[in-house]
Amino acid sequence: MNTESLQKLYTEMLLVRRFDELCLSLKTRDQIYSGYHPYEGQEAVAVGFCGLLNKQDILLSTHRPHGHAVAKGVPVESVLTEMMGRQTGCSGGLGGGMQYLDIEHNFYCGSIVGSNLPIATGFGMAIKQQKLDRVCMCMFGDGASNTGAFHEALNLAAIWKLPILFVCENNQYAEAMPAREFVSCERISMRARGYGLEEITVDGNDVEATRRVATDLLARIRKGEGPFLVEALTYRLRGHYVGDPEATYRTREEVDAWRAKDPLLRTRTTLLNDGVDASGLEALDQNIKAKLTALEAWALEQPFPTLEQSIDHVTIPLTQQGGCACL
Amino acid sequence: MSVITYGEAIRQAYREEMLRDKNVCLMGEDVGRWGSLYRSSKGLLEEFGPEQVKDTPISEAAIAGCAVGCAALGMRPIAEIMYIDFITIAMDVMVNHAAKWPQLSNGKLKLPIVFKTQGGAGRRNSSQHSQSLENWFVNVPGLIVVMPATPYDVKGLLKSAIRDDNPVVFIEHKALYFEKGEVPDEEYLIPLGKAEVKRAGTDVTIIATSWMVLFALKAAAQLQQEGISCEVVDPRTLWPLDKQTLVQSVKKTGLCLVVTEAPEEGGWSGEASSVIHEHCFSTLKKPVKRHCSIRTGIPYGPVLERQIVPGDESIMKAVRELVKGV
Repeated sequence: MNTESLQKLYTEMLLVRRFDELCLSLKTRDQIYSGYHPYEGQEAVAVGFCGLLNKQDILLSTHRPHGHAVAKGVPVESVLTEMMGRQTGCSGGLGGGMQYLDIEHNFYCGSIVGSNLPIATGFGMAIKQQKLDRVCMCMFGDGASNTGAFHEALNLAAIWKLPILFVCENNQYAEAMPAREFVSCERISMRARGYGLEEITVDGNDVEATRRVATDLLARIRKGEGPFLVEALTYRLRGHYVGDPEATYRTREEVDAWRAKDPLLRTRTTLLNDGVDASGLEALDQNIKAKLTALEAWALEQPFPTLEQSIDHVTIPLTQQGGCACL
Repeated sequence: MSVITYGEAIRQAYREEMLRDKNVCLMGEDVGRWGSLYRSSKGLLEEFGPEQVKDTPISEAAIAGCAVGCAALGMRPIAEIMYIDFITIAMDVMVNHAAKWPQLSNGKLKLPIVFKTQGGAGRRNSSQHSQSLENWFVNVPGLIVVMPATPYDVKGLLKSAIRDDNPVVFIEHKALYFEKGEVPDEEYLIPLGKAEVKRAGTDVTIIATSWMVLFALKAAAQLQQEGISCEVVDPRTLWPLDKQTLVQSVKKTGLCLVVTEAPEEGGWSGEASSVIHEHCFSTLKKPVKRHCSIRTGIPYGPVLERQIVPGDESIMKAVRELVKGV
């Protein structure tokens, strides 16, 4: 990958990282109400995979969605204010940090682990049947690979040859449960064989690798060779949620060892070795931080949704006249 | 008018809607090759092809999930769950996604899905193939719940459900597929959320759902000979509930029996009863009475099954108790 392209990916990862830091800060100030699921350490997965999608491509995300959303290009304003429960959020502030939709940007996420895989088959089926120039990407974690929904979806997608890229973002822990103990095989990607699919694993902390694999697989899916399942090996540098009892399931040494493999650190080192000026990278960072500071100030001024908004769209008025003679 | 079975009425509804709109598709276990368990989609795979009629693996979560995804891209899927007992596997998609996404999209996303299934006893299938689980869905904001009892109703309501932009849980009854009834030869629709008075009467209102409507009508015919005039009201749609039609009837008769196949505890029968108490309190001669299945797993043998589930004899007994106090 040339230096210019890599620097672009680095910038995108920086945005995801600084956005996550802003959310952490807002969480400590009670401006994010629900449990917050930090994304630090996994940016090369979001940027490498989700960042490659076009606006019309479908992205199904998880309960840890903001990195994916920002990388896909869902406006940071609407992601941030959704997490803060404000009207300007992409779900009008009704969903919060782990369940929201942006129809215009084709982004969907939800907080039931494994639930998005079956839904991906429907997007894939509609894309294939309507011959649309779109693909569907479905993100999930190591924990989701243990659900029944995972199996049903992979089998259906495989027998119907659907244009879906299933990306397993293995961050090593399903809440407090280590994948090394709770996943029956050495690699989750090995499970692809059971569906007649290729076994593909990528270093999820290497953005050049994730982008290379994503480019290859999406091109093949667009040619009709889908679906694919890829496992991206990464690490969740923070707790499952802010303040989780980390000492119950992992050591400080383990986290530190992965911190040395931080995807931003690695990419920064490569860029510096390629002759990029450190002050230039610092300026990029300052620019992102300044934008996010302004965004935060704006977000804190946004109104909360009303009671009417929270009930308006639960049921669409029935299509046929004469029904629903409610008293 | 033609006299056709409930199953044939369903088949005609599918066919008419698939011809009208190629985005309408049916997916589920054995809907294609078999034409569904009770042949209600017989011949449709041959006529419409696999893009509109899709056999699926035994994967209820994937069937329901597939429906949500393709509906989000403009298709109008009918996702068939072969027995309502299997719907437990599809519940996550239905309750956590189909019912929530339209709200989370601020009305920008429509999910015109029919989750079609069949429930109830009557075919000696025991406790994992005979349940009446409609109450679960009435309890979920964002879902419409329909339970048609006759060939005329099932056809008109299914066509409306397919055309409606909300996720609809459409619950047929396995004991009804071979029941016959008159259906117009020309096209018609029945609005969702509209009850029907199936038999007019003056002494007592029987509110009954699905299979129980047939027993209520039988009981009403018998009771007429005893001098008790029963009005039988079928809500047809459990939610949204046509309270007006129910209330009007009870205001006229002053007595009300609610009959459901689902056990009464925590169920829709309690909702109906409460609506009547709230709106007819001053005209009620006695409290609303409920007659529902005994709270147990449906037993296998035909004798016990009949004892657990209400029938015409037991409905007659309940009405006599209500009217005469005996």
